Amino acid sequence: MSTQLLEKAQQLREAVRHFVAHEMPAELRVKSQRHQVLERQDYLQWMQLLERKGWAVGHWPQQYGGRQWSSLERFVFEDELARLGCPWIIPFGVKYVGPVIYTFGSEQQKQRFLPGIVKTEEFWAQGYSEPGAGSDLAGLRTRAVRDGDHYVVNGQKVWTTYAQWADWLFCLVRTGTDGKPQSGISFLLIDMRSPGVTVKPIHTMDGYHHVNEVWLEDVRVPVENLVGEEGAGWTYAKFLLQNERTAGAIVGQARHVLDRLKKQAVETRVDGRPLIEQPLMRNRIGEFELRFLALEQASYAGVLAMDEGRDNGGEASLIKIRGTELYQQVSETLVDALAEAGMVFDTEALHATPGLPLLGADDVGGILKEHLYNRANTIFGGSSEVQRNILAKVVLGL
Amino acid sequence: MTTDIETIGMLRNSLERYVEDNCSFLQRQELMKEPGSFSQQVWSDLAEFGFLSLCLPAEHDGLDGDAAAVGALMEVVGQALLQEPFLMSAVLATRLVARLGDAGQRGRLLVGLAAGELIFSCALEQADACQLEDNRLSGRIPLVMHGDAAHGLLVAARDARGQLQLCLVDTDQSGVQRTAARLLDGRGAASVTLDNAQVELLATPNNGLSLVDNLQLLRDEASVALCGEACGMIRVLLDTTNDYLKVRKQFGKPLAVNQALQHRMADLYLLLQEALALTDAAQRALSGPVAERRRLVSGAYTYICDAARQVANEAVQLHGGLGITEELNVTHYFRRVMLLNSLFGGRDQHFLRFVEQSLTAA
Ligand SMILES: Cc1cc2nc3c(=O)[nH]c(=O)nc-3n(C[C@H](O)[C@H](O)[C@H](O)COP(=O)(O)OP(=O)(O)OC[C@H]3O[C@@H](n4cnc5c(N)ncnc54)[C@H](O)[C@@H]3O)c2cc1C
Repeated sequence: MSTQLLEKAQQLREAVRHFVAHEMPAELRVKSQRHQVLERQDYLQWMQLLERKGWAVGHWPQQYGGRQWSSLERFVFEDELARLGCPWIIPFGVKYVGPVIYTFGSEQQKQRFLPGIVKTEEFWAQGYSEPGAGSDLAGLRTRAVRDGDHYVVNGQKVWTTYAQWADWLFCLVRTGTDGKPQSGISFLLIDMRSPGVTVKPIHTMDGYHHVNEVWLEDVRVPVENLVGEEGAGWTYAKFLLQNERTAGAIVGQARHVLDRLKKQAVETRVDGRPLIEQPLMRNRIGEFELRFLALEQASYAGVLAMDEGRDNGGEASLIKIRGTELYQQVSETLVDALAEAGMVFDTEALHATPGLPLLGADDVGGILKEHLYNRANTIFGGSSEVQRNILAKVVLGL
Repeated sequence: MTTDIETIGMLRNSLERYVEDNCSFLQRQELMKEPGSFSQQVWSDLAEFGFLSLCLPAEHDGLDGDAAAVGALMEVVGQALLQEPFLMSAVLATRLVARLGDAGQRGRLLVGLAAGELIFSCALEQADACQLEDNRLSGRIPLVMHGDAAHGLLVAARDARGQLQLCLVDTDQSGVQRTAARLLDGRGAASVTLDNAQVELLATPNNGLSLVDNLQLLRDEASVALCGEACGMIRVLLDTTNDYLKVRKQFGKPLAVNQALQHRMADLYLLLQEALALTDAAQRALSGPVAERRRLVSGAYTYICDAARQVANEAVQLHGGLGITEELNVTHYFRRVMLLNSLFGGRDQHFLRFVEQSLTAA
């Protein structure tokens, strides 16, 4: 079984490589390989390109427009795109809320929302976290009170990625206060144009606007925008988090930055000699390659276990912990290897065309931007600490 | 010469009080929105209150402060993330002029430096970047911290005979082209192109050391000063994170009750204690035998550079989402800590020198 799976996945990998080399518009490729700032329009273009290849929702069942990819195919697809430095696949529609809607939503919701998700005609944002509910998501307090055919929603969400572009917010709200904190939660789809929705930017240390506060004040949400049953939102929320599991991009990003480091170590000169000749640098790269090898092999093993139903719940945590931590450390070494060019941070150059930095290679500004922002990778999507708690509790039974 | 402990304590306290009132994080945030890279007001206050005279020789009514005195103030610089060119101009350039300038140069330059009217910056690392011929300097210096604001640059370069010289370049001349840049932490810098720029040499050592030895000593002093600055940053990051873990509640209790996090904080505390002790030792070693000086300075710098990184990374991580925001002071320390790796020759050069010294010492 696994040989067949591997072969199919390898074919997909080659198709992706071909697509990036020959079909991706050059302007978008250059922008993303330099890690320049991508706007809503760039992401739209990107997602629609993938959609035309049939890849945007390749992991969905056929009846909803997908190709019923195995976990491995899905992993390899994301891995290869990330290795090649392609734009992020914004997950909120195609990876997160789409599967929740086709699994738990009403017929009417499927018809209303799935086409717009498949084609990325509507942008989605994820309204889970709140000021008081981060790692402890079940501590959320945003209230939804039934009033005739509507819910009236009050509360505040935070860290909401790209809410400034979103047409819709999928949102966890509290509809009940009895019993365990998990039991009174419901899953609502909120139109971002509703009166009472306010988006306020939060600036991150890379100088950009990725995340937001979303304030909800007496927002009226039609009852038909409740997904599944009232009070069962935690089940859907957990289902959604499981869909984050085959995160191939984490491994691909680590590979991408490690390749970039090797290139930089050839380019940077110390006393007239390439940096890569220095034993210290060779040793560092060797250690990173070793860790990458372990990450890659363990990721494949874990994803295959998922496809064959042998997984134990720890596979995704392994990829997340090892992949994000390796990525951060390689990125740190890369910034160091840039020498003087790695000390200057010019946010203007990342917007301008052609947007070239004062010193160093064309992508230097982008490397720094990514480095500053990737500190978040060990925080969101289940922090490294939360992942270790999962391993200890769920897998090791401690 | 050592500065007595009371004087150091007094200086440190008065600078701490000054920055509390004038260089708070919020005031710094406002400053960062302005086009200039530091506050002219703070700079002239530092001069007026005598901080810029710290390294001025006694014959010019300066304090002639030693490494411990510099370190004490650098800790405050680190705590407050001061953007002003204190280290470059008031410490390093002032020491170079005092030790290598002739009587005329000392008389002409030192008072201006201590008054803050003259700002100098130093480019000592790449002696081969520029060529010196008949007191004319040509070449490109990729990046000089505070080079954007400097009236003068002290550049180490080789002359036609291959000998190392220290050149003072007046930046206000047609042979000097500067492109301003901002460093990761918002401090100013410049890329400098010199085309037959007129220079004067500082070539009259008066402290018994050769010019080459003087430049080496100064680079060591710079690194040790940065150790002090790093200690200040580590201290703030540690305290801020410690306080946050006590107030931030998840799962119905403060984050601080998680033993896994307590242990990580304990490790950060150990790093601070080691960094402080190493900084002290390196300061003392600056006036000792050369071999021991090299071993201690380079060992301290390497260890502290890595320690500061670890503390900064952990501080960001333990603040969760908040930890990557522009509004939180932690991210600003994080960015300045990143620079430590590459300043004045950088972490790896120090590490290699430390290994070398440790192997030959045996
Ligand atoms: C860039 C970015 C984008 C994001 N995008 C979105 C989004 O689109 N939608 C959304 O809903 N959310 C989003 N998030 C929020 C993210 O999910 C939360 O930041 C995350 O859940 C952590 O919560 P917190 O920030 O409140 O940190 P806290 O939960 O306060 O945690 C602070 C620190 O303590 C640690 N910690 C917490 N509990 C424990 C414990 N029991 N044991 C040991 N350590 C512990 C954490 O790991 C962390 O290091 C985003 C976050 C970031 C940084």
